[in-house]
Amino acid sequence: MAGWFDANLVSILNGFAIGSLLFILAVGLSIVFGMMDVLNLAHGALYLVGSYLAVTFAAGEPSWGGFLTALGIAALAGLIAGGALSGMTEPLARRPILDQALLTLGVSLVVAEVLSIIYGNDVFSISPPPGLDGSVAVAGNAYPTYRLALIGVGLVLAVIVFVVVERTSVGALVRASVADRDMVSAMGIDNRKVKVAVLAIGSMLATVAGVLGGPVYGARPGLDDTILILALVVVVIGGLGSVKGALIGALVIGQVESLGRALLPDLASFILFGTLALVLVLRPRGLFGPRKLAGT
Amino acid sequence: MDFPDLSRRSFLGVLGAGAGTLALSACGGGSLGGGSGAGSSGGGAVKVGLVIPQAGVYTPLGVDMQNGWQLWLDQNGGKMGDYTVTTVTADEGEGPDTGVPAIQGLLQNEQVDVVVGIVNSATALGAAAQFAEAKKLLLISNAGAVAITGAARTPYVWRASFTNAQNSAAMGEHLAKEGVGPVYIMAPDYAAGQENVVAFTKAYEGGGGTLAGQALTPFGTTQDYQPFLSGVQESGAKAVFCFYSGGEAVTFVKQYDQFGLKATTPLYGSGFLTEGSVLKGQGASAVGVQTALHYSTEIDNEANTAFVAAYQKAYDALPTCFAMATFDAANVLNRALAEAGDVTGDALSGALDGLGVIDDSPRGPWTFSGQNPKQTVYLREVTMQGSSPINAVVSELGVYDQP
Repeated sequence: MAGWFDANLVSILNGFAIGSLLFILAVGLSIVFGMMDVLNLAHGALYLVGSYLAVTFAAGEPSWGGFLTALGIAALAGLIAGGALSGMTEPLARRPILDQALLTLGVSLVVAEVLSIIYGNDVFSISPPPGLDGSVAVAGNAYPTYRLALIGVGLVLAVIVFVVVERTSVGALVRASVADRDMVSAMGIDNRKVKVAVLAIGSMLATVAGVLGGPVYGARPGLDDTILILALVVVVIGGLGSVKGALIGALVIGQVESLGRALLPDLASFILFGTLALVLVLRPRGLFGPRKLAGT
Repeated sequence: MDFPDLSRRSFLGVLGAGAGTLALSACGGGSLGGGSGAGSSGGGAVKVGLVIPQAGVYTPLGVDMQNGWQLWLDQNGGKMGDYTVTTVTADEGEGPDTGVPAIQGLLQNEQVDVVVGIVNSATALGAAAQFAEAKKLLLISNAGAVAITGAARTPYVWRASFTNAQNSAAMGEHLAKEGVGPVYIMAPDYAAGQENVVAFTKAYEGGGGTLAGQALTPFGTTQDYQPFLSGVQESGAKAVFCFYSGGEAVTFVKQYDQFGLKATTPLYGSGFLTEGSVLKGQGASAVGVQTALHYSTEIDNEANTAFVAAYQKAYDALPTCFAMATFDAANVLNRALAEAGDVTGDALSGALDGLGVIDDSPRGPWTFSGQNPKQTVYLREVTMQGSSPINAVVSELGVYDQP
């Protein structure tokens, strides 16, 4: 057992690193879905915006200044983009949710095309900031320091999001809106404001994840699709509208993508969606999904 | 709760494939009538359709191919043989769903005499029948599937680039001869990846080499190679041979370095691993990687020196094997047109067959053998020239025919 653990320690660690990144990415998507009943299909495109901002500001000699600038600008861009998305979906609020989903799909296509015009179609790799660009020995194998740091960042963000959503009055408002929007509205709270705020914060987390994920995944056309699908799988497995669900879903998918693929390389392309199918069969609403789906 | 669209690309892909099938079957009936227009042009003009990716992941290759084509025309006053060349460019896109209809449009609406280009092998295979029906020449300047000039051969489809198996077989024989120890093979799990794996394995084991194992990674959806790299470490491999290109090549080479394998296990590959724009993305991680390819900018011959200098002057970038192959395609088409004095597929095909040695190519002398180049494969190693990585030529691995 100890031997098995040693041999797979790197894969397990890597699963946590990928899981951390996926959590940052998926928690926004999950809460937004819970709030609006709408899948924000532009989430992947926002991630890619973050990655390309990292290309712009963290290019050349790697420096903390460049990396933190990229993070700051990405956060700001995410807030603004979330606000804009909220404004765009507002006129469609009374329409079927398919209309809103199509709108976000259209936005994501436009954003991806604009990025391709600006940055071209080459693949960019992004260097981690100095100090994190080396490797450390883990059970005799090298492991990139940056990914270890990513685990830490993910944990910190998970704690912050959890405390805000579960322990503060603002969080209570968000949870209440997820559970029963009309009731919140009936109590005299303008839930459009809640929606703007949630979309803005959710989008910010996506762009920030784009910068943080840059040194791992780089930046290239088409990455937005791959990322969106991963985030969707996490959200569906974890359960919609739940922070705890997004965290557990991200950690599960992180391990599936890392340890699972290492143990079962022949099933690599199947294992992700196999897990998804299994969860949907056993728990159709995800591991921590609401007992009653909003709007049903 | 429903998900209107899990993956818009795969969804659109399904739609596109459907449309492509329709277009194909439509063409089956339509081009019989349209084919009568073939050969009616000529009289000192030849209309060439250049099919290259102008959108999607292969766009950088399309730019290189366009540059190679244009450079040859500019150097030769826009004339091939006695013919003045008109080029009609069409977007191949990423796959046969866009590529095959684009080619059909060129043949039927634009009435081109010859088609040059094509990156994607599935597109080339899907379009081959149209050329046989129209009796027009297709001169491929990238797509490397063995079947194009192998099992699915038609007299109207020629190739000026390479086959997947050529480069991998050369590397397999080389590593077996060097006795590098057990080799682990990695490639994306799709047609080209599998062709490279099969060709390498056959040549390497045929030369007495032993394998440590192999991993086929999901194509296009693998962002993280760590799980597979840990398999390499466990296998006790002394070297790794891989076939990756484009975005996957950048990610793979970077992660191979980050997870410490570069220091312990030398990396070998088919040349596309470090060719063109991907090399910039890989940066220092690629230094020391050895690959086999039919071209390098560093090949020391007169034609290559002149080609590289002219290309750099015109486009402010180093040429790639994609630019070189399209440049060469223009060269052989010129020779064939001069020889045949006719633009029909039959005349050009016959002329190409009789060309003999192409002695002024940047890749060194080569000949057509079975409608595909029989050419020298070079062993290349990535080194730093100033601050930019290049593929230095280590040695010539020998002349290879298509398998």
